[in-house]
Amino acid sequence: MRLLRMFLVQARMNFVWYFRRDGEMIFWTLAMPVFFLVLFSFAFSSGPNSGSSKFLVPGIIGAQVLSSGFWGVGVMLATFREKHLLRRVYVTPMPPWIFFASLIVYRMLLLAAQAVILVSVGALLFHVRLAGNPLEILAVLLLGTATFVSLGTIIGALARTTESANNVASILTVPLAFLSDAYIPIDRFPHAVSSALRLLPSTQFIDTFRDVSVYGAPLTGYGVWLAALALWTVAGAAISARTFRWV
Amino acid sequence: MGKSHAVDQAIVVENLVRRYGTLAAVDGISFGVPPGTIFGLLGRNGAGKTTTLECCIGLGRPTSGTVRVLGLDPTRPRDLAALRPRIGVQLQATSLPEKAAVREVLELYAAYYGIPSRAEEMAARVGLDDKLDRQIAQMSGGEQQRLALALALQHDPDVLFLDEPTAGMDAFGRRILWAEVERLRDAGKTIVLTTHYIEEAERLSDRVCIVQRGKIVAEASPAELVARHGGDATVTIAADGFAPDDALRRLGTWTQTGVQWTLATHGEPGLALAAVVTAANAMRAGITSLDMHHPTLEDAFVAITGETLGEQE
Repeated sequence: MRLLRMFLVQARMNFVWYFRRDGEMIFWTLAMPVFFLVLFSFAFSSGPNSGSSKFLVPGIIGAQVLSSGFWGVGVMLATFREKHLLRRVYVTPMPPWIFFASLIVYRMLLLAAQAVILVSVGALLFHVRLAGNPLEILAVLLLGTATFVSLGTIIGALARTTESANNVASILTVPLAFLSDAYIPIDRFPHAVSSALRLLPSTQFIDTFRDVSVYGAPLTGYGVWLAALALWTVAGAAISARTFRWV
Repeated sequence: MGKSHAVDQAIVVENLVRRYGTLAAVDGISFGVPPGTIFGLLGRNGAGKTTTLECCIGLGRPTSGTVRVLGLDPTRPRDLAALRPRIGVQLQATSLPEKAAVREVLELYAAYYGIPSRAEEMAARVGLDDKLDRQIAQMSGGEQQRLALALALQHDPDVLFLDEPTAGMDAFGRRILWAEVERLRDAGKTIVLTTHYIEEAERLSDRVCIVQRGKIVAEASPAELVARHGGDATVTIAADGFAPDDALRRLGTWTQTGVQWTLATHGEPGLALAAVVTAANAMRAGITSLDMHHPTLEDAFVAITGETLGEQE
């Protein structure tokens, strides 16, 4: 009960402090992805039903998963440390996992809201339909979120300052969004390049998520990639746990 | 400092060393704090006070030496977990989330400690009762410090660690904090505070440690430090035609600078002052200036360290 209350209060405060009262956050997480969806849908397509929106809806959701992990968790943790917030909570009886869990759950709920908005806009404006099994879609989304939160935490663990965390997150997120099948199909690159890009966890996640969600592919065909994502998650968590500093 | 007092002391620090690279921030510090007392670590910024305090609360790892707080070893995870609910901490330059409101922060910390939220009561105790819904970013540094104090106190800890608690506070905040600290000591709590304000150390501490370059250079009650190191009380008089007679010379040592005579006395400077004035009047010397100086902790500090605390940031 005590831990549950701790978790719930912390998660609620995360939402109020870092989202509801932060106009910039609301813009970047809710308005910007929709703007991208609409802009790219028209830019890349010859008409509303050309299929580019169908590609973009899961792609943009996938890109948001990446930035959730790298910025929402990684840079956030570095900021918390730089502003001496971590030291302060470290001397309280709150178990560290509660702190991480509440941050991750808050970002997951935010992602869920982002996904719902993007899917709705996709359905209303561009007739994109979710074709897969909802539980399988959710499972892939959760695994992908776990992977990038876990990798993002490494940034939070190793970056000495908010500025360096920010730089690392930018260097990772922006190219990855373009090289991982999120905004533009990597099939258009030479075969050797696209094969190499499929070794990236971001590509593995976004491709699986797209195939399962809008193309209705059964999850059973993606065992290797799911295993790879699970491995990235465990590796990221292990590195973070060994290197994370509260002070 | 022997090992025998380990049991009855709330805090025992023995031969504590903390090195950062080749620099020893703390270089062999030992002290004990009896329960129910206020212990002050006084020194300039960078003297090693904060590092010492951090080693007591698990934020810093001693390079060598031992620390026990309530018999627990903060370097052992299990002990630290048992210790955390029993200590309250106000850190130097704690920053709280900018968009957080006073009430929310108190609620969150109540949840951390598994106690009912006492936001209203705690805000009133630190004079923030009209600012419960104010966000951190809209509060002054002193108000934030007072909130930090409330967060340290809310769960009624046995031992309180205050790191430069009044730095940046106005006179109002300082009065509130001092009153709280004294009230807590009277309620049997043990308090460790670091400060570079002489006045604060003198007013609050039952015992003061003067810390210089990672070492303790003096430890005693403020009154003892002043008596031992503060030097003589002085009476200074400038009066036309004044010269100390034999009776006045028996009060202490006289020195003359121009028309000004200064008496350094071991005795009660008030009585010496009265005698000087009486004598001057008897000599029909017109007094143009008169001054009495009681030795203070600051005099003791300067005598011990060869440095002043002065204005530093």
